[in-house]
Amino acid sequence: MTATPLTKETADANATAIADAAVASPASPRRGRVRWRGLPRSLQAGVVLSGVLVTVSVAARIRTPHSPTRTGVGPPFESPSSTFLFGTDQVGSDVFSRTFTAGLTDIGITLIGVAVAFVVGTSLGAIAGFVGGIVDAIAMRVSEILQSFPALLLAMLMASVLGGGLLNVVIVVAVLGIPGYLRLARAEIMSKKELEFSDAARLMGNRPGGVLFRHLLPNSLAPVISFTAINASWVAILVSSLGFVGVGIEPGTPEWGSMVASGRNQINAWWVSFFPGIAILLLALALFLLGDGVSDLKARRKW
Amino acid sequence: MTSDALVSLPVRGAGMATRRGGGLRSRRILGKLAGAVIVVWGVVTLTFLMSRVVAPDPTTLLVPPQATQAHRAAVRHELGLDSSLVVQYGHFLRNLAHGDLGESFSTGLPVTKDLSQRLPATIELGLLALVVGTLVGVLVGVFAAIHADSVIDHGLRAVVVTGLAMPQFWLGLSLLSVFFVQLGVLPAPIGRLPVGVDPPPTITHLYLVDALLTGQWSVFVDSLRQLILPAATIGAGVFSPIARVTRTAMVEALSSDYVRTARSLGFSPARVHFIFALRNALLPIITMTANAVAFALSGAVLVEGVFGWPGIGQYALTAIQQSDFPGLQGFVLYVAVLYVLIYVVVDILYTFADPRLRR
Repeated sequence: MTATPLTKETADANATAIADAAVASPASPRRGRVRWRGLPRSLQAGVVLSGVLVTVSVAARIRTPHSPTRTGVGPPFESPSSTFLFGTDQVGSDVFSRTFTAGLTDIGITLIGVAVAFVVGTSLGAIAGFVGGIVDAIAMRVSEILQSFPALLLAMLMASVLGGGLLNVVIVVAVLGIPGYLRLARAEIMSKKELEFSDAARLMGNRPGGVLFRHLLPNSLAPVISFTAINASWVAILVSSLGFVGVGIEPGTPEWGSMVASGRNQINAWWVSFFPGIAILLLALALFLLGDGVSDLKARRKW
Repeated sequence: MTSDALVSLPVRGAGMATRRGGGLRSRRILGKLAGAVIVVWGVVTLTFLMSRVVAPDPTTLLVPPQATQAHRAAVRHELGLDSSLVVQYGHFLRNLAHGDLGESFSTGLPVTKDLSQRLPATIELGLLALVVGTLVGVLVGVFAAIHADSVIDHGLRAVVVTGLAMPQFWLGLSLLSVFFVQLGVLPAPIGRLPVGVDPPPTITHLYLVDALLTGQWSVFVDSLRQLILPAATIGAGVFSPIARVTRTAMVEALSSDYVRTARSLGFSPARVHFIFALRNALLPIITMTANAVAFALSGAVLVEGVFGWPGIGQYALTAIQQSDFPGLQGFVLYVAVLYVLIYVVVDILYTFADPRLRR
């Protein structure tokens, strides 16, 4: 178990309470009031870290010390100083302003891409698992094919096919994410549709669609949700990798991956790559901790 | 499925398992292989479609910009790009069946030759990263599980979670910046050997092994020094998920009844941890290791790029950037076959690790 909040007793009591509540009333989603102190520490860290990241990224869109897109606000490759906290890059732009401005770009692409993959993947997976037969077989084969590609390569291929632009990067990321959600949701639905509440829902006169989307799906979402945040952390890295190889995102747009790449040919000027890289790390970390924390809520013994 | 079939299936299955369980197992593996062939076909076809239909025209890269239309058309004809898509696809499949992946647009050599030339570099780097990453990962995971909830456990967790969130390309650059630029203790990212050093006589194509076998000690050291940073970068990507999975599975195993029994029977802690508990924690570790093998041997594209490593990952990167369809297809085919093989092997390994699955 990871979380050791202020007192161990309260945490354990809380965990037991949650577990008991879950066992006693599986149908009811309410498990009493959630208290901050009782949450797993990983979840607390994830919430705080992502909150900070979003806040500073939004703030940077309102005001930065220098223009994030203007070149030559200082001499090129100037090391960090009080004027340029993170130094300047090869065209004399302020790395500090660019790093913070890029936040909303990376966070936005990641979150929208994941959201689309979540909705589309989960729905398709639910239908595949519910209907079975040929629909299921096709969905599974297509997912396997997509997942047999090295992810980054497929992403690069698709991005070069679709052309540049933020929207296309979102599409690429979403398509790549769909198979994961599809397979997870499918497996959940397949096990749930054999249970009695599924029969009950059907006997109450619900149509198949109603049984699936109003009864089976809501009861299958828990594992999908804890997968989502972990997946988002991976997506954040994928997005920046695309930027790093220079696919999809227009040159000059502040984006963490492409900023890391711009410092690549001048390793002496470590600050050009270092700070945006730390930013990617923090975003991936925040999302990972969120996902880990959510699953810690249920299985308290894992890392 | 009728309820009749539902009832009779398990019974029939059980009967077969007792009489000729081996037949059932090989049939299952055959079934997996058949599914795998479909997946490989799908991967190859998808690559074909994506690269032919919409990707930029490679002839623009092959002919000078001032070339005449006729010249362009001649090049297109030579590459077979002027025939219909169906004809191109038919050609492609026929050649593929003969083991011919075509000639790379960028190097002009047969793709099979290009790939086999670059494969040893990827394998040497990938294997080193895998061995070190897996060993350290399993050991750290076991250690953390034995000391679960201690300060060390929490410290290790921080390391592992950070490792999971670390972009590989950035880790590689940062390691270079520290060990090459700042400290100057490790060499520049220029591939497998420093400038001016000849590769050892070819036996296995792996420089480390060949240098050892032929007794070229200085070449061994040189090539090891080139390997350290890229291997550490990929190794970090291998280490983190394996340590995490091992820790989780070991905590589970250590809290079980048979471990308690083994302890009370007086077996040594080492024996309890590594023979009884670890063996039972093996399944998830195998799965994660399989993922790591796939990751490391498919040429960690960006890491090879950062370190100028002349492996297949870098080849794929160039192929995409230069619209080199045959090169790209060759790489994708290699990776798809690799994945499929790994998962068949994993399936077989499962039955060794867990006798219950032999049924």
